[in-house]
Order: sequence, then structure tokens, then C-alpha cells
Amino acid sequence: MSSKESCRNELRTAIRQLTDRCLYSASKWAAEQLVGIEQDPAKFTPSNTRFQRGSSSIRRRFRTNEITSTPPTGVAYVSTPVMEEDEVIHGDFYLLAKSYFDCREYRRAAHVLRDQTGNKSVFLRCYALYLAGEKRKEEEMIELEGPLGKSDAVNRELVSLERELSSLCKNGMIDPFGLYLYGLVLKEKGNENLARKVLVESVNSYPWNWSAWSELQSLCTTVDILNGLNLSNHWMKEFFLASVYQELRMHNESLSKYENLQGTFTFSNYIQAQIAKARYSLREFEQVEVIFEDLLRNDPYRVEDMDTYSNVLYTKECFSALSYLAHRVIMTDKYRPESCCIIGNYYSLKGQHEKSVIYFRRALKLNKNYLSAWTLMGHEYVEMKNTPAAVDAYRRAVDINPRDYRAWYGLGQAYEMMGMPHYALHYFRKSVFFQPIDSRLWIAMAQCYESEQLHMLEEAIKCYKRAANCNDTEAIALHRLAKLHRELGYPEEAAFYYRKDLERMEAEEREGPNIVEALMFLATHYKAQKRFEEAEVYCTRLLDYTGPERETAKSLLRGMRMAQSSFPSMDVEHFHP
Amino acid sequence: MAGVLKAPGAFAITPHKVSVCVLVQIYASPSQISIPFPFSSVSQHNRLGLYLLALTKSCDDILEPKLEQLISQLREIGGLLDHWLTDHLTSRLSSLSSPDDLFNFFNDMRGVLGGPDSGVMEDDQVILDPNSNLGMFLRRCILAFNLLTFEGICHLLTNIGIYCKEAISSCSSYELRRLDDSGNDLESLSEYENMDLNLVFKKINEEMEARKRATERVSFHLHLPKELSTLVEDIEVFADPKSEHNDKGRESSSYSSSGDLLRDVDLNGGVFLRTNWQIQGYLMEQADAIEKDGSSFTLNAFELTLRQLQKLAPELHRVHFLRYLNSLYHDDYFSALENLHRYFDYSAGTEGFDFVPPAGCNSFGRYEIALLCLGMMHFHFGHPKQALEVLTEAVRVSQQHSNDTCLAYTLAAICNLLSEIGFSTTSGILGSPFSPMTSVGTSLSVQQQLFVLLKGSLKRAESLKLKQLVAANHLAMAKFNLTHVQRPLLSFGPKTSMKLRTCPVTVCKELRLGYHLISEFCCEGSTMTTDGAFSTAWLKNLQKPVGSLVLSQDNSSRDNSNPFLFCTQPSSIPGSVLQLVGSSYLHRATAWEIYGSAPLARVNALVYATCVADASSSSDAALVHVKLIQHLAVFKGYEEAFSALKIAEEKFLSVSKSRILILKLQLLHERALHRGHLKLAQQVCDELGVLASSVTAVDMELKIEASLRHARTLLAAKQFSQKSGNAVVGLPHALASLSYCQSFNLDLLRASATLTLAELWLSLGSNHTKTALTLIHGAFPMILGHGGLELCARAYIAEAKCYLSDPSFSVSDNPEVVLDPLRQASDELHVLEYHELAAEGFYLMAIVFDKLGQLEKREEAAASFKNHIMALENPQDGEDPLSNA
Repeated sequence: MSSKESCRNELRTAIRQLTDRCLYSASKWAAEQLVGIEQDPAKFTPSNTRFQRGSSSIRRRFRTNEITSTPPTGVAYVSTPVMEEDEVIHGDFYLLAKSYFDCREYRRAAHVLRDQTGNKSVFLRCYALYLAGEKRKEEEMIELEGPLGKSDAVNRELVSLERELSSLCKNGMIDPFGLYLYGLVLKEKGNENLARKVLVESVNSYPWNWSAWSELQSLCTTVDILNGLNLSNHWMKEFFLASVYQELRMHNESLSKYENLQGTFTFSNYIQAQIAKARYSLREFEQVEVIFEDLLRNDPYRVEDMDTYSNVLYTKECFSALSYLAHRVIMTDKYRPESCCIIGNYYSLKGQHEKSVIYFRRALKLNKNYLSAWTLMGHEYVEMKNTPAAVDAYRRAVDINPRDYRAWYGLGQAYEMMGMPHYALHYFRKSVFFQPIDSRLWIAMAQCYESEQLHMLEEAIKCYKRAANCNDTEAIALHRLAKLHRELGYPEEAAFYYRKDLERMEAEEREGPNIVEALMFLATHYKAQKRFEEAEVYCTRLLDYTGPERETAKSLLRGMRMAQSSFPSMDVEHFHP
Repeated sequence: MAGVLKAPGAFAITPHKVSVCVLVQIYASPSQISIPFPFSSVSQHNRLGLYLLALTKSCDDILEPKLEQLISQLREIGGLLDHWLTDHLTSRLSSLSSPDDLFNFFNDMRGVLGGPDSGVMEDDQVILDPNSNLGMFLRRCILAFNLLTFEGICHLLTNIGIYCKEAISSCSSYELRRLDDSGNDLESLSEYENMDLNLVFKKINEEMEARKRATERVSFHLHLPKELSTLVEDIEVFADPKSEHNDKGRESSSYSSSGDLLRDVDLNGGVFLRTNWQIQGYLMEQADAIEKDGSSFTLNAFELTLRQLQKLAPELHRVHFLRYLNSLYHDDYFSALENLHRYFDYSAGTEGFDFVPPAGCNSFGRYEIALLCLGMMHFHFGHPKQALEVLTEAVRVSQQHSNDTCLAYTLAAICNLLSEIGFSTTSGILGSPFSPMTSVGTSLSVQQQLFVLLKGSLKRAESLKLKQLVAANHLAMAKFNLTHVQRPLLSFGPKTSMKLRTCPVTVCKELRLGYHLISEFCCEGSTMTTDGAFSTAWLKNLQKPVGSLVLSQDNSSRDNSNPFLFCTQPSSIPGSVLQLVGSSYLHRATAWEIYGSAPLARVNALVYATCVADASSSSDAALVHVKLIQHLAVFKGYEEAFSALKIAEEKFLSVSKSRILILKLQLLHERALHRGHLKLAQQVCDELGVLASSVTAVDMELKIEASLRHARTLLAAKQFSQKSGNAVVGLPHALASLSYCQSFNLDLLRASATLTLAELWLSLGSNHTKTALTLIHGAFPMILGHGGLELCARAYIAEAKCYLSDPSFSVSDNPEVVLDPLRQASDELHVLEYHELAAEGFYLMAIVFDKLGQLEKREEAAASFKNHIMALENPQDGEDPLSNA
């Protein structure tokens, strides 16, 4: 990776250029990363480093391996030259247009720049027009909403913008920012292939525009598409890849990229949040919680990604922490989908599902493609026993992203609740197809097969086997496998699974009726097999427990001793040569 | 949003509706004379009224017509008025240039409506009754306008602008030409009145350019006049690929054009959905059409329409159901499965035309219908086991939600499933303890279970007054009676006498019962959709003189057999009822076929083909044709059968896994056997076998038939070597089959068995001829009345043989007694190309002539005998219908 200093310099220039073109969110992102680079403590006064102090103790606690800032071997990073500004002296018109733009008077800004020909002016004019169109589109969406859900609101500037930008592009008179805008327009118009090409060109010539990377990322829906991109190696590409991997559910790859990047951008809140999200997907809740706590300490008014934090708090049933978080985000920004989602989670935890639904609905009003809100709302409807509504909500989630296994799983559950296990199987099959490594999904499917209406035990066994193979944390699968085999009359297999289950429970130091059951079965089984040595071991262990099993074990032992004493010679000779 | 049903029938005001309002105003302008101003006759006035009615009701498309389409239709109905109507319409529309104009416009509309006291209006004054169809339409428009926000009014105004501009850009040259003719129509172009012509063209030019760039193609529906299209650089108008596939003429235009319209979706504005009511009607019509004849739809064309509809109305979930049907009938399993689930996920089975929301809000949804559909889908794709599992679940869930209607339908579906699939496959499933028939117990055979189920579902349907289902159940019952040998239900132990018999009376009764209910249904009156269908048909008739002449000729030449088809009126009987009627006729035909009356079977098949063929599914229609052709082959010989087959082949080209092909092979096989072409027979047999085990699935029935025919071929081969077996051995077999036929009421078979018996007696020696003759004479009425050519000929020859071998009979005394049957027989056998038997006939004839001393005739008969023997021994024939296939 490039040295910290060069990154820093590149970012500083980029921020100025991005701000100049009113690409605010990109410049915000760049600035966050700039500050995230670890400062050379020798050069700076404590006041400078205060921002970065954080509670690095916690961070260190969870950093398993100290990351070095050396780049992966064999990767040569191209250093893209920082772009020269074409208009060093800003035209007066540009200044006026930019002020209009900053006041969100987009059409006025565009009008001021109508006769300017410089790259920068052309970009700002087009960008302003684009935003004006977007703004109008949003308004029309509400005005035009039809009874059947149709709103044919479109950005009416797209056609003319596309025409202008494509002719500029053809004549080679377009800069990377123009390309970014062109890609954006193409994407909106549905021309994804060309959009991808244009965006790649944009990021290759000007890599610091995170907005361009994000648009590109939204167009990379499969690994194949990603591999087909011709991207030059810049450190910004690492950010991009990490983010794409996360979207493509390659969480471990994503995590390692981020951890690598942390070598340079040690204090980046962005990276920290992304790591938290990746770990959340890997269900490492403890660590996620710590990371988010740390993040909030440094950046208390952050709303982005806080919905993930609220999910963790929800799973861990931290009532007060969740309410505190909800309070904080609502004070910061009430009308953010994330805020609504957090409040929805809080009400759900409190068991007030109607209110929870209200807030999820609000979140969806703000962003109708907010995937997790649809799924969470589905869960709420399930709690409220309004299954048709739940099914509808889940189905919307699935239609937004067909790979959302949680929603498929929710659909399956809903139908199972309605007593339609056969119908539910279709959905469970979908969910395990998209997430074959989650034991909970396999177990749900197995239980569906086991239901009294279907009673397809062979299939249930197959599912439980899959579940047992993918790290079943709740240890349901082994126990069920043993039981099912016993019921179906396969004592050998049943013994095998009981033994495995027992080993596991011992390893995890679990207690409970399952242990007794396993011991009991094994004892009787081995006795029937005339393997008295083993049977005796299990019987002796049973003696540690109270209850009727203890008596049974005693009588078993007695019986075995009798049997052994009557035919001692053979057995003893066989087992103890 | 989730779980919330939108009020159906939402009615949005669109430019097209404004146009209709303008026309309604013209139609019902309050004037004092009986025929208002622009109209010259009452019929002209009525014609416009009818047209307006059709406009508000027809459901032939999802989109409202463009102004230009409206104008061209007006041209057709308006006659002399057309200029005036279109001018008035365009000028009125283009005069709407500010929101206030719209307010005034709708205020004026209110004047068109009569007051609530319209009873006291003056005579001869035309005022729209507020409760009439058009009056309601107008009121809804006014209401919808009043509900608009100011923004909404602004959008309406913009849309009217686009609506007019598109029309003008496409027919401006027409307008302009007229402008030259009579310079006084300037105000019709008020929007452009200040521009000179070049400017107009330039503007249009630009617009086309922009559009072209935007979509990279020109929207097809803009049928540009030549003059204009030469101005606008070369525009490729797409050759329509779909119409080529769809050249069977039936409604091809409406399907392909709807596909084309999709290209306009990107052009924002100017595309408006019809009212919810009309769209639902459209979807229902399409669903009917798909179920009737799925192969006439092209998968993609209809998919495009549906996708467009989905884009325009994302909350209209019925679309998913149509997509399901579309992929179902195009055998796309995965897409069908996906769309079925999606439809029911979104709608909970509670959306659609037929749904009446229950009074007490039932929040459960109707997922049992999803199960029913899923079961039928599995059945369609040939997964009987899964189908049965799903249907079992459907039974349980409908019981749970006490949806008796669904339960009745599910039971009927299970019956259908059971009677269709081979029994060997079901036994495992049905025997399981969680089948729906647990109450009956598992000791019953599958047939018995089916019977019990049928009875139960019939009873249920009757008590729920589901007339169609009752009729269908009666039909199923008839089918069951037809195909199953009855034995006492619940017979235990070896002592109960196994009384096996069939019962034609019951079959007849069931068929009659079913038919009765159907006719009752027909009287019940039409539903809303058929209303819409009428309007649609009316609109379609408008275009008839333009393009259908070729098609009609084409059509009539194609099926000469049924001239009824072409002039069918839109009938008020729903298609599903017609289908039921049709299948009852099919059942009758089959019943008569089995019980041995070929003429009655033919009559029923003919009734089916002429009366209900256009409502039936194409596979049923194909089946009827097969029956008719088989009949032809038996009664008229192969020549005619093959020529009829050719017509049928053309007609049912699209039907997959065609019965026609099987029929062809069957006919070829029969003919080869008759001609004695054993090699060919073997070859055809093998082909049939290949057909039976195709890639998709093994058709057991067909396989059995193939092997059966194989056996027959072998048997025929054997007969050559050992011509006459031991007749005494044959006797008991013949007697046994006679008694079986009697108890199963298989009259024709019985006659043929009697004949065989007679032949056997005959071969036992001359002293048995009397017995044989009595038997033959007893069977003659049946054979001559219902039997085919072969049977008749055999009877004749046997009769002649009887006489000849009777020592007390002298030929010279009464030659015609022998010669007449022999002549008949040889004629029939010639048609049938049954060389072996024909040769025998001629041989006998030659002997008779020899005895009579008629040498010339003897030589003639002998020559014929020789011919047939030669044909039998050298099985080579120039014209082989298989080779030219």
C-alpha cells in the first residue's frame, strides 16, 4: 500500500476537488478516511491526535493479529497522478452557480452556467440538472401515486443529459466527473453494461470519488461481473472490493480486506463500521457490540449503520441500551430510515408490535427498498399473528433481493404456522439454497419434514445431517438425529449420534435431560449388544443423576453382572486377550 | 402495502377519458330536436352511442387507446360525420390550455347529465340519464376530477398535451393535407397555429430523433404516413415477428400489438392503463384463452404484455397469476412455480375479479386455493405423487378454514388425479395413514376409494350449489362407470359372489344429470365479463372489413367440416360451461363407442365438433377429430380416413404430443395388417413404441397399446402357418367371451363373438351349418346396424359359406342368396384393402359362378382373386402415407 503520507496528500487534494464540484457525499467519505489515517505522533500536538484517541484498548483486545501496513505481495499499486485543475481561476459565474447549488436551487445554478464550456462548469450544470430532475421526481412520486401502486415518475432530465454526455464522451471532451455522471444517468436508464464500462473508466482515471465506486458496486451483482471489470490497482480499489465482497456475502474475504486497510486507516470509523457489519453477518455479536460502543464513543451523532447495532442489541435483549440508542438517533435525525428501524426494533423488543410496525412502515416510506425493514416488519406481523401481511412483507423483501435468505425463511415459517408444511417446504428449500451453511435453516426445514402432517422422516434426517455438518450451535441436530434413528429402528446409527451428542455436551459442559437420555440409550444399547464394558461405563455415569434413570441403571448393572458371571470365560477372553 | 387491500375499481381521470367525455357531450347535447345537431339520422346517433358504450366497457387490451387510434375508429363509425367529430374532438382537447379550462370543461359536463328529476324532462330532448352506463361514466369522471389535487390537475394538463401532440405528430400530414383542401380548419391545430409548416415538421423531426435516441428504436404504434416518414430520416418499422408464429388468424393482431406497445413504456407519458374493471376483465379473458389453447399464445409476447402491466400497476397482483398460467402452458416448470408462489404470497388468494371480501374481515387469506393450484400444477407437469401430497394438504387446510367450496374443488381434483394416473403409482400414497380418506379405511382398493371420493365430492358440490362442479362430478362419475367394472362395494371373503357387470343405464343417467344442470346454468344469465366481451367483440367488428377477408377465406377452406365455427356470435354462455357441455358430448361418444353403436358415437362427436369446438381446449378438439377419423377408417375405408387425417394434421399442428400422430400410426398399422404387410406393420409398431417412451415421460397407456399391436402383428404372422387351429379348442373361448360381453353390455363385441362362434361351428363340419346360420342371422341386425366394414364382410362371407357347405342347398336354384352377400363382402373388403379375406370372397364367388356355368364371370372373379393374392404376397405399394408425412 502506498505510504500514509501519499494517501493523505491524495485525499486532501481530492476533498478539495470533490467539494468544488459539489460531490458532497464523496468528499465527506474522503475526509473521513483522511482523518482515519494514523498521524505521526512526533509531528503533532496532542490536540491534533485527540480525535483519534478512541479507546484503542478495546480495539486491541479484539484484534487477533497485529496488522502490518505492508501491502499483499505481488500487487503493484499504480499511483494515479493527481488531476490538474483546468480552470485555476474560477469564473465568477461558477461561483454564483455553486452558491445557488449549495442553497439547493439547482435549476438556477444550471441556468447560470448555460453558456460556460469548461469541464467543471459543464459538469456542475449537468449535475445540477440531474439533481433538479431527481428532486422533481421525488415530488411527483407522491403526487402521482396511483391506486395500483404505480407511479410513473421519472427524472425528466435524463434524456437530454444522456444525449449531451454521450456526445461529450464521443468527442473525448469529458473528465472523470462527467463520466461518473454519465454512468449514473445510464444506470438510471437501465443501460447497465455501458454504465459499468463508463464508471470503470471514471474510477480508473480518478479513483478518489467514492460515489462512483458505490454506483459501480451496485452494478456488480455477481462475482462474475466483478471479475469481468478491468480495474487498475489503486488503494481505493481495496475499499471497493471489500464493500463488494460484503454485498456478495463473501464476509470472510471482505473482513480480511478491511483488516488490511486498517493498517493504514487505523482510525477510520467507516472501516470500523464495515467490519462490525461483516462480523454481524458472521454472527459474532459480542465483538460487534464492542465495536459499535467504541464507534459511538468517537462519533456520537452517527446514524449510519446503527440499525445493525440495534439488531445486535435486540438479539442480546439489551432493553436500556437499545432505548438509549433510539433516543440518541431520534435527537440526531428523526427522518432517517435507520432511526425508524431502531425504534421499531425497540418496540418489538418491548413486545409492542403494532407500534413497531408503524415505525418500520415509516422507514419504508422513507426508503421503499430498505430490505431489512421489510423482513423485520414481516417478523412483527408474524408476532401479531397477521400471517397474510407477514407473507406479503417477506415477499417484498425477496422480490427486492432474491438472495435474502432470511425473508425466504420467514415465508417458510409463516406457512408452517398456517399448517401448510408442504407448501412451506418450497420456501425453506429456497432459503437453504442461498445460505447452505446456516444450521438453523436446515433445522427448520427438518422440523417441517418431521411435522405430523408430512411425517417424512427420511428427508428430515437428511436435513439434520446437513445441519449437524454446519456447526449447529444450539446442538439440536445431533439429538434429533439420534432420536429419529431410534424411532425408525436403526439402533447402530442412533448410538452413533447419541455418542456424538454426548461428546459435544461434555465438551460444552452442558447439563440437562438430553444427557440422561443419551446415557440411558447407550447403556441399554450396549447391553443388548453384549458389549458390557461400555454399557457399564454409561450405567455408572447414570448413577450420578437422580430420578428413575438411576434405578434403571442400577438394575441394568445388576443384570450385566449376572450375565457376566454366568458366561465369564468367553467374553473375558475376547475382550482381554 | 403489506396486508392492506386497496379499494378496487379505482378510477383515474386520463386524457382518453376526457376525450370520451367530449364525445359523450356530442352524443347527448341538450337540444330540442330528436336528432341533435351534427347527426343526420337516428341510426348514426345510435351508432355513436354504441361505440361510446363499447369504449367504456371493452376489455381487449390493458392500455387506453391513443388519440390517433380513437380518431381512426371514429372514422370508421362516423361515416360522413367523421371530419366533424375528429375536428371537434381535437379542437376541444387542444383548447384546454390552463387548469381553469379543465375546471370549466368538467362544469360543462355536469350540464350534460339530467337532474335527478329526469322523469319530467321534455319530450324529444336528449339528456343523459345519470344512472345509465354513460351517465355513470360521466359522473365518475367528474368525481375523479373533483378529487384531484392541484398538482394532479397540472399533470392531467401535461398529459393531455402529450396525448394531443403524439396524435398530431402521427397524423399531422393528414391534417395538413386537409388544411390545403379547405383552409378554414385552422383552429383544429390551435397549438401550432402560430408556427409555419416547416417549423411543425422540424419539431416533429426533433421529437422523433430524441425518441429514437432514447429507445434506440421507433415506437411501432406510430403508424406514420408515408409523406412524413420520408421526411424523418429512414425509420425502420419492425417486421412483427410474433404475427408470423401466430398466423392462425385468431386474434393474432391484438396479441402482437400489445407486445409492441411495450416498446413505448420508456417513453414517459401517454401510456395509461384502463380502469381496474377493464383490466381485470382483460386478464380474465386472457386466462380463459390460455387455458383453452395455451399453444396459440407465444410465451414471450404475452410475457411482455404482462411485464408492462406489472410495471404500470405493481400492486395488481393478478398479473402474477397470468404469468403462472402462461408459463404453465408453455411447460416452464420453474417459472410457473415461482409465479404461483409469488401470486399467493402477495394476494393471499384474495385478489381478483371473483373475490367478494367477506363481511366479517377474515384475516386468514385463502391459501388453500394456493395449494389447490399447486396440486393441479404438479399434476399438469406429471408429478402425481407431489400433486397428491399437495392436494392432501389442501383438503386439510380447507377443512381447517372451513372453506367448503375449495374443499369440494379439491376433492374433485383428487378424483380427477386418481382416475387419470395409473393405479400402481398411487397405491403407496393412498395407503398411508394421513390420506384424506382415513375415515373410509385403507382396506379399500384404489378404485373403491375413487368411487367413495367421487360420491362424496358430488354430494358436497350439490349441497354447496356449485353447479359447474356438480356437472363436472356427474361427468366424472359417468366416466368412472364407463371405465370400471362394477362389483359389490365392500365385499369380504371368498363366499360373496363376484358379480361383475357394467351398467350403461347409470352412465346414461349420470350424463343426463350433468347435462341438465348445465342447461340450467345457461339460463341463469350472463355475468359482467361477458358483457365486456360483447363490447370487445363490437370494437373488433369495427375493423373487420379491413383485414379479415383473407383470414376468413383461409379459415373456411381449412375446416370445411364446420361452417358453424366461422359465423359464431359472441354467445352469452361462459366458456367454462361450454367446455363442460363439450366434454359431456365426448363422454357420450366414448360411451357409445364402447357399448357398440358407431353411428351414435359419430353423431355425438359431430355435435361436439360443430357446436362447442371453438370453446373447447385444443386437445379435446383433437380427440374428437381422432374419433371421427377412426370412424371414417372403419366405415369408409382408409382412403378417406387418410385424407381427413391430413386436414386434421394441419389443424392441430400446434398440439404437443399429438394424438393425431398416434392415430396416424394406428391407422397405418391396421392397414398394413389388413393388407398383409407384416414388415410394415412391425415397423409402425416400433414407431409407436418409440412415441410411447418419449423424452418427457413414459405414456403407459400408449406403451401398452404398442405392445398389444405388436402381439397382433405376431399373431397375424402365425395365422399364415397354421391356418386353422383346432376348432373344438376355440369353442369354449368364444362362448366365454360371449358371456362376458353380455354381462358388460358390449353389444358390438358380442355380435362379433357370435360371428366367431358361427365360424367355428362351420369349420366343425357340414352338419353344423344350421346352427352356424342361425347364429349369424341372429347377430346380423347388430352387425349391419353398428358394425364396421370388416365385421360386415366377415358376416357376409360366413353366411355364404354356410349356404355353400349346406348339402341341402343348391346353388343353381337360388344363386343370389349366395352371390349377393359375397358381392357386398368383396366390395367392402376392397375398400378396406383386406386382401386375404377379399381373396377368399372372390374364390367363393368363382366357385359359385363355375357351378352356375357362367364362365366369363368366373374368370373375372378368378382374376380378382389372383390380384388380391398377388397384393398379399408382394407387399409393395407406391403411395405410402408414412413416407409423405
